[in-house]
Amino acid sequence: MNALDYAVLLGTLVGIAAYGMWRTRGGGSLRSYLRGPDSTPWLVIGLSVMATQASAITFISTPGQGFEDGLGFVQNYFGAPFALIVISALFLPLFRKLDVYTAYEFLGKRFDGKTRLLGAGLFLLQRGLGAGITIYAPAIVLSTVFGWRLDLTIVASGLLVIAYTVSGGSAAVTLTQKYQIGMIFVGMAAAFVVLILRLPRDLGFSGALAAAGGFHKLQAVDFSPDLHPRYTFWSGLLGGMFLALSYFGTDQSQVQRYLSGQSLRESRLGLMFNAVCKIPMQFLILLLGALLFVFYRFEPAPVFFNQSAWQRVEARDPAGPWRGFEADFAAAQARERADLGGWLAARRAGDAAAERSARAAVAADEARTARVREAAKAALHAADPHISANDADYVFIDFILAQLPHGLIGLLVAAFFAAALSSKSAELNALGSTSAIDFYRHLFRAGSSDRMTVAASKWLTAAWGLAAIGFALSFRLAENLIQAVNIIGSIFYGVVLGIFLAAFFLPRVGGTAVFWAAIAAQLLVFALFATLSISYLWYNLIGCAACLLLALALQPLVGRGAAPRAALA
Amino acid sequence: MKPGEPEATGLPGLRTWRRVYAFVALTFILWVALMVGLAWRYR
Repeated sequence: MNALDYAVLLGTLVGIAAYGMWRTRGGGSLRSYLRGPDSTPWLVIGLSVMATQASAITFISTPGQGFEDGLGFVQNYFGAPFALIVISALFLPLFRKLDVYTAYEFLGKRFDGKTRLLGAGLFLLQRGLGAGITIYAPAIVLSTVFGWRLDLTIVASGLLVIAYTVSGGSAAVTLTQKYQIGMIFVGMAAAFVVLILRLPRDLGFSGALAAAGGFHKLQAVDFSPDLHPRYTFWSGLLGGMFLALSYFGTDQSQVQRYLSGQSLRESRLGLMFNAVCKIPMQFLILLLGALLFVFYRFEPAPVFFNQSAWQRVEARDPAGPWRGFEADFAAAQARERADLGGWLAARRAGDAAAERSARAAVAADEARTARVREAAKAALHAADPHISANDADYVFIDFILAQLPHGLIGLLVAAFFAAALSSKSAELNALGSTSAIDFYRHLFRAGSSDRMTVAASKWLTAAWGLAAIGFALSFRLAENLIQAVNIIGSIFYGVVLGIFLAAFFLPRVGGTAVFWAAIAAQLLVFALFATLSISYLWYNLIGCAACLLLALALQPLVGRGAAPRAALA
Repeated sequence: MKPGEPEATGLPGLRTWRRVYAFVALTFILWVALMVGLAWRYR
């Protein structure tokens, strides 16, 4: 990064944050602080919902997923369109009719205070854990690559997001997200174009796809009924639908975004925008990763993409096997490049037999290259156990630094931070709102004025932001970052969704039955997660089903005073 | 829903929400078919 990159990075990030604070200055009512201006059009709602979900992890880590495993991760999002239809048709009209600030207020109206607090508490617990990752994820990658101090990177980006979220509330979050997601789209599109242009001239886009297909990177859909693979069509459609239903329908960070629509129509269209665009967006980001895989088959790649970690270990142990790994890897890559050239020539000549034989040679080369890489990773991890052997999160950053021109590097890094800030701000806004409405005003200060509640919400938002910074400063991650976020979500989301579905579909079940059913279901999910090795997406379905079935079973034993369904119709 | 909130989608050709939801479902099928087709074409 040079001075131009830093100017682009700081100018865009601080500029957007300052603009958001300036436009939403002067405070306002509780309604405008927690719900925004109530005049947000559908496209802004759609972009805000998208920006809330798409954190920096999406743009840093997903290309790494595509690089390592191909396009299969896109199946994770297959349930989202159907979940968004259910929310648009069922959840949204009810939330708007009851005029709630938080999704958990709805539980209080349908069931009772303790069920409302349980729903809000589960949200605060899982979102509080996730909030640390949202801020940690881009910081760990970017600080490692650029040599910035990790703690300062976490603190600086954390304080920036706290400043404008506390100052302007929901309106500032929605306003800044609009510009942040625009910057992200421009940055990612630029990276995609540069990647296509940097592919070998005689390969072309179609040849790159053929090569990616040859390396089995284009298998997006797996219809296998096996429960064990992490991503299949069925786990994505069913488990992913429950995950998306819970995330978009019951997670306050999303509910708060679409409740700010100026009408039911605007909110619904904002959700449908995401229902249509989410899958192709994720597909394109994964395809970027798959094409990066092809690119690094024609261009020299590092043995280990987290190069600063590699160089650190190499400097500490100059007599170690590092140079040997580099030489072996370079030789294996050179051989693979030569065989790839043969495959390209056979493909151009239309010689099917030569093409088959060249592809077999390339496959053998690739297996050899992968063996060297695995051995190098194992040696690196043995030399320093703090270094994760998973370097997928560094693939895209490495490409950006090596291949993009200055200015564009700054824009891409700014886009990563913008993505982090946009999802972080929505999370903090939701954590502050839920703490203020469902705990402070409901539990501790029942008669507090709107002015006092706004003040409490600001303090609580700041407190959650500082807690997230503290959490981010104190932990290490070994999993791919985007999976870590989804795993945490899947452990809690199913049960929360079960509570909401009981509210909608089980009119004879009351608060006490649902409350104890939810606690039992959550304990069951913890136990299963600790003992089984099934895809984490299934825990959304299991948690939800367990909560609903237990609520039905407990109702005759403990149920009294179930809210009449007619009250919510 | 607040009193007076419009039910109409305001979208040409997709005048009811049921049609909008059907459109979303068809789009999903189209994306999946395209992805399967891409993998088949470059297998």
